[in-house]
Amino acid sequence: MTTRAHASRWVILLWALITLAGVLTGLYVIPWMMPRAASHTQHVNILTMQIFTIAAAPVMGLVYSVLAYAVKFWRFRGQGVPPDGPPLRNHPRTTGIWLVVSATLTVFLLVWGLALLASDFTSHATGEDITVDVVGQQWVWNFDYTTIAHRGVKTPELYLPVNKEVVFDVTSKDVVHGFWIPSMGIKVNANPGAITTVSVTPNRLGTYRIRCTEICGLNHAYMVTRVHVLTQKAFDRWLATQPTRI
Amino acid sequence: MPRSRVVVASLASIVIGAVFLAIAGWGLARASSPDTPLVATRIGTMTHISDGVASRVPHVALKLSTYPDALDNKEFGGSSGAHPDWVAYSNSNLVVPAHSVVTITLSQYDSGEKLNNSYFGNVIGTLDGTATLNGQSFTHVDPDHIGHTFTLRSLPSKGSQLFVSVPLPAADGADSCDPASPDNTICQTIGEGYYTKEPNVITFSFYVGDKGLYQWNCEYPCGGSRIGQFGEAMSSFGYMSGTLTVK
Repeated sequence: MTTRAHASRWVILLWALITLAGVLTGLYVIPWMMPRAASHTQHVNILTMQIFTIAAAPVMGLVYSVLAYAVKFWRFRGQGVPPDGPPLRNHPRTTGIWLVVSATLTVFLLVWGLALLASDFTSHATGEDITVDVVGQQWVWNFDYTTIAHRGVKTPELYLPVNKEVVFDVTSKDVVHGFWIPSMGIKVNANPGAITTVSVTPNRLGTYRIRCTEICGLNHAYMVTRVHVLTQKAFDRWLATQPTRI
Repeated sequence: MPRSRVVVASLASIVIGAVFLAIAGWGLARASSPDTPLVATRIGTMTHISDGVASRVPHVALKLSTYPDALDNKEFGGSSGAHPDWVAYSNSNLVVPAHSVVTITLSQYDSGEKLNNSYFGNVIGTLDGTATLNGQSFTHVDPDHIGHTFTLRSLPSKGSQLFVSVPLPAADGADSCDPASPDNTICQTIGEGYYTKEPNVITFSFYVGDKGLYQWNCEYPCGGSRIGQFGEAMSSFGYMSGTLTVK
């Protein structure tokens, strides 16, 4: 036989444990699971996933703790169809708390998301920054450095200087492709006949993967290339060795 | 039902499922490689410089053709497949040794028009960045007069990095070769096909590194009228795409 006090103790204990597990997952597992951040954009993506996970943890904890307690202590152990339970009664205080907490969490996440959405699409490019035309075509990416200093350089792999904003003008020559640099947290569709602009500032040296995210035909799986983030000097050296392309 | 029977039935289901998947995978693997692989012929050795270090490596050769139809894939032991009227390379599955220089000589019998992406009018990734067209060295060609391209790439996660793209200019007179009104002064019969006597001969060399499966395709939109001319031959293995096996 269970009492209200017994149920409350168990539910609160379970809720605390599950919430703690969720918070620890948000703090430590999420950064481990997501690609290593190579730009401010991806840092923000990881932070967003952490905040959503941590905010969801107490809600998940409450649901699972009540469920676990019910399964353990309120399970019907007799034969046949269990009898109907007592009728649910209105409990204004519980309803009020539930509404306020849910609304607060939802509004917080909404405001957070809208703020990020606005900042992600705001380019701070100046005349010194780099514009790259990103062209998808079954099943190759090619990159055209269109700013004056880089005119005529076209490559199958992307080379970028560190800590300098890059504006990508993304398009496709045939079907819809998806331009995704997981480590930099940018993913936009490459649409035929349209240009989608997105910007990013890589802030970590290294080589990262670029993938197509839209199933685009026979060799979609091979539509993968790399982005190399170099120091400004190394980037200039690389640029000097590149032939002019038509 | 006794527990032992449940266990036996479960294991049997798993085994049957695994066998079914294996058969399906084997069938799909066979279906994706209908052509007999074309193995490169060794023609000597070459000095290859990598990261400032020179070494002698095998030099191998492949001879390919591109036709306005797939009829003559049989020329090199391949199959014309289910669509003998589609444009095609003579072979789609190529085999070369690891850490070697590969020279491809390609006879281009097809006509052509404008590339939709002028980037593929450039020679990219070959030794010294050039190719030859009928004996003349070139680094790029007129993107408005292209028959096909040979564009080869690797997956970044597997094997050596490889990206080679060479344009194959359209053959003059290719459109004049109609077997219904033959003109043997400019055209010739090859196998079951009737093609120009003056194909463009493109030769290029590139270095392949580690063992692995690489993939090539044409980047000139020559796949009929569907999907922006990227359908049909462009979207089926064995015509305008294939593999390069390095082993």
